[in-house]
Amino acid sequence: MNGHGSSLSKHWSRRKFLKMTSGTALTAGMMNVPGLLRADDIKSKYSGNVTMTPSVCEMCTSACPIEARVQDGKGEFIRGNPLDKGRGGKVCARGGAGFNQLYDPQRLVRPIIRVGERGEGKWREVSWDEAYTFIAQKLEDIKQKYSAQSVAFTCRSGWTKNWFHHLAQAYGSNNLFGHEATCPLAYEMAGVDVFGSVPSRDYSKSKYIINMGHNILEGIVISYARQYLEAISNGAKVVCLEPRLSITAAKASEWHKIKPGQDLAFVLGFMNTLIFENLYDKDFVEKYCEGFEELKASVSAYTPEAMAKDCDIDAETIKRLAREFAKAAPKAIFDYGHRCGYTLQELELRRAMMMINALVGNIEKDGGMYLNKSASLYNSIIGEPKAPTLKKPASPPYPKPAFPRIDKIGEEGCEYYLAGKGAGIGTLVAPSALGELPDQPYKIRGWFIARNNPVMTQINTQKVIDAMKAMELVVVVDIQISDTAWFADVVLPDTTYLERDEEFTAGGGKNPTYSVGRQKVVEPVGESKPCWLIAKELGEKMGLGAYFPYKDIEDYRMQQVGDNIELIVDLKKKGQTSFGVPLMMREKNSVRAFVEKYPTAKDKVNSEGLMDLPKKIRLFSKGLEEVSKTGGLVYKPDTIKADDELYYINGKIAVRTNGHNGNNEWLNHLIGDAHIWIHPHTAEKMKLKNGDKIEIYNRYSTQRGKVLVTQGVREDTLFSYFGFGTISKALKRACGKGVNSNFLMPPQLGQNTGMGLNVVGVKVRKV
Amino acid sequence: MAKKYAMIHDNNLCIGCQACSIACRAENKIPNEVYRIQVWIQGPNQHADGSLNYDFHRQSCVHCENPPCVKVCPTKASYINQDGIVLIDKKKCVGCLYCVEACPYKARYVDPVTQAPDKCTFCYESRLSRGEQPACVTVCPTDALIFGDLNNPSDKISQVISRKITYQQKEHLGTRPKMFIVPNTQGGKIR
Repeated sequence: MNGHGSSLSKHWSRRKFLKMTSGTALTAGMMNVPGLLRADDIKSKYSGNVTMTPSVCEMCTSACPIEARVQDGKGEFIRGNPLDKGRGGKVCARGGAGFNQLYDPQRLVRPIIRVGERGEGKWREVSWDEAYTFIAQKLEDIKQKYSAQSVAFTCRSGWTKNWFHHLAQAYGSNNLFGHEATCPLAYEMAGVDVFGSVPSRDYSKSKYIINMGHNILEGIVISYARQYLEAISNGAKVVCLEPRLSITAAKASEWHKIKPGQDLAFVLGFMNTLIFENLYDKDFVEKYCEGFEELKASVSAYTPEAMAKDCDIDAETIKRLAREFAKAAPKAIFDYGHRCGYTLQELELRRAMMMINALVGNIEKDGGMYLNKSASLYNSIIGEPKAPTLKKPASPPYPKPAFPRIDKIGEEGCEYYLAGKGAGIGTLVAPSALGELPDQPYKIRGWFIARNNPVMTQINTQKVIDAMKAMELVVVVDIQISDTAWFADVVLPDTTYLERDEEFTAGGGKNPTYSVGRQKVVEPVGESKPCWLIAKELGEKMGLGAYFPYKDIEDYRMQQVGDNIELIVDLKKKGQTSFGVPLMMREKNSVRAFVEKYPTAKDKVNSEGLMDLPKKIRLFSKGLEEVSKTGGLVYKPDTIKADDELYYINGKIAVRTNGHNGNNEWLNHLIGDAHIWIHPHTAEKMKLKNGDKIEIYNRYSTQRGKVLVTQGVREDTLFSYFGFGTISKALKRACGKGVNSNFLMPPQLGQNTGMGLNVVGVKVRKV
Repeated sequence: MAKKYAMIHDNNLCIGCQACSIACRAENKIPNEVYRIQVWIQGPNQHADGSLNYDFHRQSCVHCENPPCVKVCPTKASYINQDGIVLIDKKKCVGCLYCVEACPYKARYVDPVTQAPDKCTFCYESRLSRGEQPACVTVCPTDALIFGDLNNPSDKISQVISRKITYQQKEHLGTRPKMFIVPNTQGGKIR
């Protein structure tokens, strides 16, 4: 389906065609699904010039498909893309506030350079050319004085990362990082180790879900939230184990107030019950798993009785839940969670969660988990390259860096070997800059940060700030002067997602999927520029123009799809498309329908009418055994707090995304401050009442907040929402309100993950 | 035939995410200081069986069939239209604000720009007239809101009301609200 290259004339005719089909294409109506309410049905009822453009949200990183309405050049209303089944055309509060972000007077829309000290908030406006010249010169200086590797590049997932990690490698740095080590990294590593990739959860058809703090209904991913409530509406049993009553837990059948940071004890007791009460799926384990005997031996001592005290869930309950779960399998999911950082043994925790799913054989079963079918996996099952793949425009080879990365990923015996090179262990940037890493041949001297906010999202905030102050160059690309930008030398204004076209993307669920990326809905405000353009222009200024062999984003997109005009039209008109039919390899009906459509896949069907999994599931990790002697599952009891302290934990709220949009006017209006939750018994002992001002403190920091007395939290635990306590005075609505939890977190990093903790001991005093 | 527009707010499906509030603000250009709709997350409340639960209260106009705000209006600026929607004719409004006081649901506010009372209109002027559902219903991530015509027995809202247990706020006042609430029966049992 994909051609190879194109002649100039073809190129131009396609180019014209692209222009014709972009943006307002929905009015043409030629590719609409028959019978559905069409955008032009509604458009005819609007006065003035109205466009409705399918694109992708960026208020968080879930990338939900949206449809944005613009009237006479002004953005008005955002809803979910009605053609998207998974999210039902819906959008959350953050997504609905997209235009409010775009037109925010506190947004940065011109490049600025620092004139005072770092963090003093004194800037001057400069031209793009001056900003580029300044950055290019500094980067060249650092390269000459130290090495290009002394500059770390930390970027937001997806689009942003693609552009600036490319620039980084062209420049000569291999220190590439994402947000992963502050959020999902451990479960991603666990997925890679156990299954070869992270599997997806088929919540909607599940009959039994165990959820340990995966706050689906407040850290909203719309497709998950819908599936989750569908399962509950259909009678699924949901068991939540978490120290505070989230909205997710409130919708569950049972809520168990597990002790903060002690989830691994519960999971191991649960697994021990599955194995030693013979509740696991022996046929599945024998056929598709390796290392079962080693796993069994490694968890033999972790009986529910031995684990109960540590996690504060009694042994009988652990056993009951394991028995109920096994009985409901394969329509049962042990959720491996999302934001990690419960324990310094995070990889053990997430691996154990992943493995429980394999033990009950729910893989590729309805209501269980499934492997994501990208075009390459899908095509390998069909046996022919049917599903289109996107190409990356060719560019020259990158220069070879002289030294390993600061996290040593890619080197023999690296403890973090399971992390992707684009993820990296971003939490090591600050320790490297401060010279705290053992035997490193170089320090990090410069930091290029695009749409990431480490001052808010990395643990031990003060260390991150100190590291930035010690550096020779800090560049931030963002839509606002974030807490991180507050300490930068140069801040470059990114466009918001509604003002830019982006490259096409491909992924996969039960079958391959494709997305338009983003489509420009309105013209950029001020002088803001999209990241693809910033990377290209800065690259050219640095003499790296050859690495950016495309004229603009449209040219880039065409190189991605080759001659597949149909795909371009689909993406631009519908915003997204998929290929083929959904496939669950161990469901008979699904396999039958698949083979009917793709007869060449017939030889993949086994005697039971199912398909075998493409690779063995690892219940024992040879790799981890080699680097850290943790091939099986190992449990080390951990004391998180002193006896006279309380646990302090944090979590998500539906109207604010981590370090990103707390200053959004509409969202901030819904919650400007985050109270500190405290149990009535604890409040009584401390003589605290609702609204009292308190300080919570430990040896790392002191933070202030107001009390909320509630039964929704354990007696020994304090809770507040994450994403508050903004430092940047440029974010006037959010600055200084609520607890910045990362100031309080300890500096230790988890084994094999480099992740910090989201739980710590604190004391309380009344202000 | 005239319509009888009504809405269901399903507390079992509502997650208090405020998507409705923001969509309303965007579509109806509500000034920042005020709102036509919010969902108040109340609790956790302890149920009889010992379980803890949050309740989700939709704070907005409930479009009474017998609306006190209309009764007290001296100039007939507050009225019920042919489709059962309570509206305000700003040209007739003299700003006495009796309606704001009279509303037992505290659903009305004074628009800081026009200085006239305002409230939820089921998006009558902004969306219904174009054949679209109210903004809040359009975006609700978990389908907790259902909007439709009670005079049409095949409309989804009629079917759901006949199938599910619902109640209306402050029924004892005789206001006959057309906002039907499915009570919250779920709740994490504490162990």
